[in-house]
Amino acid sequence: MANRRQFIQASFSNAALISLSWQVPSFLVNATRSTTTKNADRILVVIQLSGGNDGLNTVIPYGDDAYYRNRFTLAIDQPAVLKINDYLGLHPALRGFSEMLDLRRLAIVQGVGYPNPNRSHFESMDLWHTAHRIAENRQLGWLGRCLEDHYGLTQELPAIHYGDGKQPLALATRGTPAPSIANLDQFRLNIADRKGFLSGLRQDMSVRRPSDHNPLLGYIHDSAGIALKTSERLENIIETTRELAAYPATRLGRKLAAVSQLMDSGLGTRIYYVTHDGFDTHANQGTTHAALLQELGDAVLAFTNDLDKRGHLERTAIVSFSEFGRRVRENASRGTDHGAAAPLFIAGGDVNSGLLNEHPSLTDLDEGDLKFSIDYRRIYATLLDDWLGIDSESILGGRFPAFDLFS
Amino acid sequence: MIDSNDPWVPWEPNEKEPWDLLRAAHLVRRAGFAVTFQELDALVAQGYERTVDQLFQLGGREDFEIEMAPIEQTIGSQQDPAALASWWLLRMVGSPCQLLEKITFFWHGHFATSADKVADAKAMLAQNRVLRANALGSFETLLQLISRDVAMLTYLDSTENRKTRPNENYARELMELFCLGPGNYTEGDIKELARCFTGWEVRQNRFQFNKHQHDTGIKSLLGRSGHFSGEEAVRIVLEQPAAATFIAGKLVRFFCTDNELDAELLKPLAGKLRENDFAIAPVLRKILTSRYFWSDRSMGQKVRSPVELAIGMIRTLGLSTNMYELRRRLSALGQLPMFPPNVKGWEGGRTWINAATFVERINLVVQMANEAANQSGHRSIARMLVFSAGGQLSQQIDRLVDHFFAVRPPEATLERLVESFRRQSGGTNEQVKELLVALAAIPEFHLI
Repeated sequence: MANRRQFIQASFSNAALISLSWQVPSFLVNATRSTTTKNADRILVVIQLSGGNDGLNTVIPYGDDAYYRNRFTLAIDQPAVLKINDYLGLHPALRGFSEMLDLRRLAIVQGVGYPNPNRSHFESMDLWHTAHRIAENRQLGWLGRCLEDHYGLTQELPAIHYGDGKQPLALATRGTPAPSIANLDQFRLNIADRKGFLSGLRQDMSVRRPSDHNPLLGYIHDSAGIALKTSERLENIIETTRELAAYPATRLGRKLAAVSQLMDSGLGTRIYYVTHDGFDTHANQGTTHAALLQELGDAVLAFTNDLDKRGHLERTAIVSFSEFGRRVRENASRGTDHGAAAPLFIAGGDVNSGLLNEHPSLTDLDEGDLKFSIDYRRIYATLLDDWLGIDSESILGGRFPAFDLFS
Repeated sequence: MIDSNDPWVPWEPNEKEPWDLLRAAHLVRRAGFAVTFQELDALVAQGYERTVDQLFQLGGREDFEIEMAPIEQTIGSQQDPAALASWWLLRMVGSPCQLLEKITFFWHGHFATSADKVADAKAMLAQNRVLRANALGSFETLLQLISRDVAMLTYLDSTENRKTRPNENYARELMELFCLGPGNYTEGDIKELARCFTGWEVRQNRFQFNKHQHDTGIKSLLGRSGHFSGEEAVRIVLEQPAAATFIAGKLVRFFCTDNELDAELLKPLAGKLRENDFAIAPVLRKILTSRYFWSDRSMGQKVRSPVELAIGMIRTLGLSTNMYELRRRLSALGQLPMFPPNVKGWEGGRTWINAATFVERINLVVQMANEAANQSGHRSIARMLVFSAGGQLSQQIDRLVDHFFAVRPPEATLERLVESFRRQSGGTNEQVKELLVALAAIPEFHLI
């Protein structure tokens, strides 16, 4: 909360508060209120691995002969696996995750899925996004429901989709859509304030709020104040951190670097959503998959290190999921086809680091696929109830038992 | 008899509230997408009544339609949904019947349908033609046509409707979003209404009534019962007392105010709608010429929408802007025509403004001011804004304020403007450009 409070104090100095008898702006009231609700400053970052990540070549049961029998060309040789215990290890491209396990910052939940798995990308992704089956109302995303019921309308952007694609269904609401931000430049004014008009205006605005005669004007005035301030702060942050940030120069690396800057900018955003695309590896999976995993591991490692340095790690949970895993047996094109259960990753300063739940059996299969043992909605319920402090029942349309994700 | 408490009685210009630049600008921003300075001066000169009459004249757009027709054809034949937005934005910029474009846009938000999901440019164009052809006509006709509109039924997953499995989607939205509003019907009414629509399907991109799939049984809908067809059911919904109030409320929110409305306020308008069998033009004329519209309960009580901001700038500055860039910016600002966010349409009001969009809105003005500064001759930015190097500076700024602002910014802010303008160098064009950008950063600029 320190950041936000400093930010508010900087925007509206105490002197201004006392000397002028304007009403306290609504966002100040909201800020006060939100500190009293549970887990008020926690942040959730969702990384969507689009296409269906091959879980079996991500968290590898190298101690199991069945793995080598089914993955006759794609199997990772035992010596190369980054071992976690004498049965399981990480893909060698996931050095980032391995380091995070050493730092106790990564939870790996094995065998996540749902009953009657659907192997269509769209159908399965819709399930993950809405947490509702096809016969039910699926216009709202599970995070969209949070926005609608708990975060409401605010100048401060409760959720941001950072990326240039379409807004993910997970964030869909029937009200104000969460913005998709393609670039931090969207927060940057494209003008040089050569003659000081803007800085003057900003000063005027910080000491004088319009009367309550027109409530819309008050609202815009407050938004403008936050916007101009955010823009200025981001300008400074971008200037000062450009050299410091040790992010890999990958798409995901850049996205997470931007998210970290937004966290620092004083925006009150609680949910960030980014995507990492390309996991639909039907043919010649080997190098493609390794590159995707490396991009993921390196970016999340850099992100968590950076958040730690900036003091945000303890209040951040980073979850990465994919719409499904892939079949146990590789196909004839050195690739894998759409499957079912897979591991899910949660990173942060407060997670129960290590392997959680049992690895699914490689011989007791469901039509050639790994069987799930944890419903993904239990993970959502935990993120909602335990992390964000939001009652999950109405959002998920039922009560799902929490899972021990956080320490 | 005129009730002096009725806010909908006609307003007349008077000594205290003259028909001037400020009021003419209010009318053209609300009933259209703004005009140039020259056009605004002409409207002030020709008077209030004539200006209002002109708004409702739908003739004289033949040349414009001839220009637009080939673009429409290309979009339809190439099935390019993204180009639909450009096409409509061009219409808003160029149409001589501004009120017609504005209210068609209102109906698009009311019967929200997104090309993103429909993915059929032809169907979207067909729907748009229905909206435009009936925009100022009968709401009942419009509603009947929309109920069998291919784009709408596709958007609401209602292309299949069998008697053994009635599809409730369209029935629900018809009552909740199009006609009555929540609380004016029951879940049972939705089920019964869905039965009335059985047999209404889309086959090979066309609407058809499949009588074998129509449930001919007795339905009990909103307190009445009978063998209702879909058409009859639509009429029954529209006969509900809530319907006229609901439509009047949507019109007032779109044309007058973003603030909460008192149900009592809408009664005279709902009455007017019923009196005229749901004809839209008479009630809209009543709204736009009312004391309410011309009072501070309406003036400055709306947030300028992204489309109003962009098209208003283009029209005021006489720009021929890059459509691709415009589409990108409008998307980022949350309002791309033909791509509403969901079936509820654009919520509008405060939701247009947040910490990200406020900066983007200024940046849109920056881009347009730059484009305007690159125009020369009679379209130079200084000429478009009737700004001359020799004129009295504060008077010229006052004119700009009257044109662009519904609510006058604080005097101290205007003084700052004058000061920074004086310090600015680079010639009048450059100075005017910076001035325009500065105006957009003032919170009051974002109200209309």
